[in-house]
Amino acid sequence: MVKRSWMVWMAAMVICFSLMGNHSQLKAAEPFSIGILGPFTGSLAFNAEEMKKGMMLAVDEVNAKGGVFGRKVELIYGDTEAKPDKGVAAVKKLITRDKVLVVGGGYASSVNIATTEVCQNEKVPIVVAIAISPTITNRGFDYVFRTSPNSPQFLSGMNDWLEKVKKPKTVAFLMENTDYGRDGEKIWSAQSKKIGAKELAHLYFEIGDTDFTTQISKLKELKPEVTFNIASTTEAALIQKQAKELNFVTQWIGVGGQFTEAYFKMCGTVCQYAMGSSLEPTLAMKNPIVADFVKRYEAKYQKARPGIFSSQGYDNIMVIIDAIKRTGKLTGDLQKDRDAIRDALRKTSIELSQGKIEFDKNGQVYTVVPSPVQVHIVDGKPQLSIIYPPDRAGAAYQEPLPWGKRKI
Amino acid sequence: MESLFLQQVFNGIIVGSVYCLIAIGLTMIFGVMKIANFAHGDFSMLGAYFAIYFLLLISGWVGWIGALIIAGIGVGLIGLLVERFLFRPLLTRWTDIDIIMVSIGLFIFLENGARLIFGTAPKMIADPFHSQGINLLFFSTSMIRLLCFFFSVVMIIFLQMFLTKTKMGVAIRATSQNRNASLLMGININFIYSITFVVGSVLAGLGGVLYGTIFAVFPMMGAMPTLKAFAITILGGMGNIRGAIFGGFILGIAETLGGNYISMQYKNAIGFIIIILVLLIIPQGLFGGRQNK
Repeated sequence: MVKRSWMVWMAAMVICFSLMGNHSQLKAAEPFSIGILGPFTGSLAFNAEEMKKGMMLAVDEVNAKGGVFGRKVELIYGDTEAKPDKGVAAVKKLITRDKVLVVGGGYASSVNIATTEVCQNEKVPIVVAIAISPTITNRGFDYVFRTSPNSPQFLSGMNDWLEKVKKPKTVAFLMENTDYGRDGEKIWSAQSKKIGAKELAHLYFEIGDTDFTTQISKLKELKPEVTFNIASTTEAALIQKQAKELNFVTQWIGVGGQFTEAYFKMCGTVCQYAMGSSLEPTLAMKNPIVADFVKRYEAKYQKARPGIFSSQGYDNIMVIIDAIKRTGKLTGDLQKDRDAIRDALRKTSIELSQGKIEFDKNGQVYTVVPSPVQVHIVDGKPQLSIIYPPDRAGAAYQEPLPWGKRKI
Repeated sequence: MESLFLQQVFNGIIVGSVYCLIAIGLTMIFGVMKIANFAHGDFSMLGAYFAIYFLLLISGWVGWIGALIIAGIGVGLIGLLVERFLFRPLLTRWTDIDIIMVSIGLFIFLENGARLIFGTAPKMIADPFHSQGINLLFFSTSMIRLLCFFFSVVMIIFLQMFLTKTKMGVAIRATSQNRNASLLMGININFIYSITFVVGSVLAGLGGVLYGTIFAVFPMMGAMPTLKAFAITILGGMGNIRGAIFGGFILGIAETLGGNYISMQYKNAIGFIIIILVLLIIPQGLFGGRQNK
């Protein structure tokens, strides 16, 4: 009897071991998760959706080629609602509950200023995809990277154009009351002083505002030659439309984040002559890598054209996966792996849909260069054209005409 | 000669007229049924989406007017269902706070439902005038804004006539003033509740089409008009329709003038500063609250 019970125990142990073996095999095949932040609900949700589309394309491509270390890549989303407090809660959940090795995505500067600080304190590498406030990468944080240019980089081409070509005498500002808006304002205000342009007004609005007639009426009274309009898709489109309604003409200059598919759908031809600094992937078709990206994107999402955010989302994921692959292998120790990924990120050098991506010592990409673009009407449809510098320009700058003289 | 002051007053009046349509429905429902409906602005959102989909079928002028009618009917039906199957069963059993919670739940449900069904991309209802501007003597505006203003005013006049000249309207006002006395007079209270909720919803739906034509349509669009409508309702006196009409225009003008002469940053805050001031100084509102207590 004793012998039999001993055998039962042996059998039980064998079964246990085999199950454990199975379990560890399962673990090896478990998907590899990357935490992604973004305002997936709220008024910026549409742009976050664009970013997500680009990211999904990257994930599909990586998984089709066998994933990372034989594991499929999976994205875990944290919704920031474009609010700093919600962003902090979302990133904390990703780090502590989902135990992600690295955080990507992110949209809206105010949110990213808060979430990067959390990641720095928790020693988790974070790669910000879309946000241009310089603050994000200039606080000496060594776990923070950004694949998007910051606002001085974003606007340097536009500033050159203002100084050497446009030379406006009067300017005004109409912007979001956020870090995105105020950082852009700071840079352009400095540039206006440098070129001797008179600043007539600094007007703000809140994200989600819909009526801008108060601001536009005031601008119309002041008649600025150039109006800096630092806004996102919905607000920028409404401002263009309401400017027409109130018969106000100025050279609108935005940062470029507003030129999305939805913007053109909402505006139609009303946005003619609007300018911005842009990284639209379709513009640099000469580059075979970019052209190939556009082709793959249009194959995955029928009839959709990749905008700046889908391209930035794609590059963000590719940079992260490239760094993970370069760590060689993962140890399973959370902190060691996070540090290894951080070290690998520093040595990034990869050619993607936005151009080459390399980080400076602050983790800021310095190799992506946006160009000033203007909306031109070609065959009755709005289209972005690079207008400066001359060696890259695809079209000449057009002076905004009074509404009555426009052909549309 | 254009004057910035007059221009801003006029901008305020136009925005105010759209606020009015939404706020009147809210205040009517509160006055008669004692429901503070936080999902009221989402009926506007639904109206705007009805219009967008209808305009895919028929565009231009016919489409726009048809969209108004369809939005009115569609939102009215939804209002009928919500009143009959959500609020009415709760009215007799639950407290006011419970019902407020239910309306907040409805607001979350409608907003996220819209996100799933209609998508997150912001849209615009095609403006039949193509954003054509118009220069009046002292200010300029657009044709569509003028039309929206006149439409709101006509709707408000119709509503006033309905409430004062018809038997049904008198019954609604009677119920608002004293529910028990109306019951004793043989008024079918449940029927009055339905009518009130439907009329309020239809006004919100029509307001949504106007709002979506002047501004933009997205699943979250209902939140701000709801808050503004509450500010207007408190300003004019809870349940007081005349109060809501004047409150709407006062808020619209206060916002644009405040934005122009005080600070653009605090433009949206002005409505809420007004709420605090009204509650401190004249808690019953400018036109007095409901008369029945």
